[in-house]
Amino acid sequence: MSDGKVMSQTHDCGGDAAAYVLGALEPAEADAFRQHLDQCAVCRDEVDALTGTVQALPMAAPQLAPPKQLRQKVLRATGTEPKRARRRIAWPVPRMALATLGAALLVAAVVVTGVELSSSGSSGRVIQAHVTGVSGSAELRVSGGRGELIVRNLTPPPAGKVYEVWLAAPGAKPAPASVLFGVNSRGGADVGIPATLTGISQVMVTPEPRGGSVSPTHAPVIVASLT
Amino acid sequence: MALVHDGDKRAFTVVFDRHVGPAFSLAYRMCGTRARAEDVVQEAFLSLWRTGARYDRARGSVRSWILSTVHHRAVDAIRREVAKEGYDVADEGLAERLPSDERTDSEFERRDDADRVRQAVGELPHDQRRVIELAYFGGFTHTQIAQILELPAGTVKGRMRLGLTKLRLGLSADGFVP
Repeated sequence: MSDGKVMSQTHDCGGDAAAYVLGALEPAEADAFRQHLDQCAVCRDEVDALTGTVQALPMAAPQLAPPKQLRQKVLRATGTEPKRARRRIAWPVPRMALATLGAALLVAAVVVTGVELSSSGSSGRVIQAHVTGVSGSAELRVSGGRGELIVRNLTPPPAGKVYEVWLAAPGAKPAPASVLFGVNSRGGADVGIPATLTGISQVMVTPEPRGGSVSPTHAPVIVASLT
Repeated sequence: MALVHDGDKRAFTVVFDRHVGPAFSLAYRMCGTRARAEDVVQEAFLSLWRTGARYDRARGSVRSWILSTVHHRAVDAIRREVAKEGYDVADEGLAERLPSDERTDSEFERRDDADRVRQAVGELPHDQRRVIELAYFGGFTHTQIAQILELPAGTVKGRMRLGLTKLRLGLSADGFVP
C-alpha cells in the first residue's frame, strides 16, 4: 500500500481492506492501514462493506450448545449468579433426622444411578473403550442415545495436535463428531458427544492437527464399540 | 446493554444467555478444545461486564460486538500459544487446519442464518475459502498464510478480497448483510 491520496484516485489500494477486516494484516500494516483510512474514502467504503460480511462469519462455525458449567463460572465471576432461595421448613423436624433422610436419599440415588449405568439396557450403559498406542483408560457412557467419553491418565496429544472424536456407522467411514479435546495435567477429560449415537457402531478418537480434520489422518488411539 | 453498563445483573444474565451459544461455537471452532473455548468465552463476557460502556450501537448489533470480542480473545490465545510453542510452517498438518463444513452438528437446532452463512461460505471457490478460514478462524496473518500455502502474499490478499466480495454478494442477495 502506498500513499492514500494517490490510491484514492486510482481506486486500488492493494486489497488491504479485506485482510484488514479479517484481522490478517501484520500489526504494523494494520496501523498503517488505519492511518490510510483517514485519507482514502474508497478503502473506507470497502471496509464498511466487508465488515458486515466478516461479522456474519462466526455463524459459519458449527453451532454447539455451551457447557452447562460455563454459565455458572461466568455468573460467579461477575457476581451475578442468582442465589438459591432457601426454603424454610414449616414443621419442627430435628436437624439430625433431616440429615439422616438426606443421606438415605443420596445413597438411594447413587444406587439407582449405578444400576442404571451398569445395566446394558437402552436407558444407560458404560462401555470400556480400547486404548491403543498411548497410555491411559477410557470409557463411554451412553444414555438416551447420547454419549460422554471419560478419559483418565491419557497421554496428551502430540504438540500442535488435539484429539478428535469420530463416529462410525456399520460399513461407513468415520464421520467427525465436531468434538476436539485435550487432556488436563492428569490426563483427564470428560468429553460430551453432541451427536446422537443411534445407528453408530464405534466411537473413535485420533490425534489430529489443531482445528481438526474432515477425515482421520491417524490410527485410532481410542475405540469404543457400541455393538 | 445500557443496563449492563449500569451494573444490572439481570440484564447481564439475559445478554449472556442470549449470546453464549454462538460465542462458544465460535471460540470452539477457533481454539479446537472445549477448555480453551470456555476460557475465551469467559474472558470475553467478563470483559463485557466490566467495559460494557464501550459498546456502540451505531457500529453493529450486540451479538456482533460480543462475537468480535470473542474473536479477538481467541486470536490472542492462538497467537500466544503459537508464540510459546512455535510451529513449523512446513508441517503439513497446519495446511490441513481447514474448514469444518463437513462436520455434523445436526444434534442441535440449526438456525436459518447459520445454515445460510455456512452454505454461502461453502459455495466459495476452495482457494478463496481456505485463506478466509485460515485468517478468520485460524488467526493467521496473511504473511503466515502465504508461508503455509507457499503463495505470494499478494495472492493471499487477492483471494481474501475476492472471497469476501463474493460472500458479501451471496449473503446480501438474501438480505443477510447490507
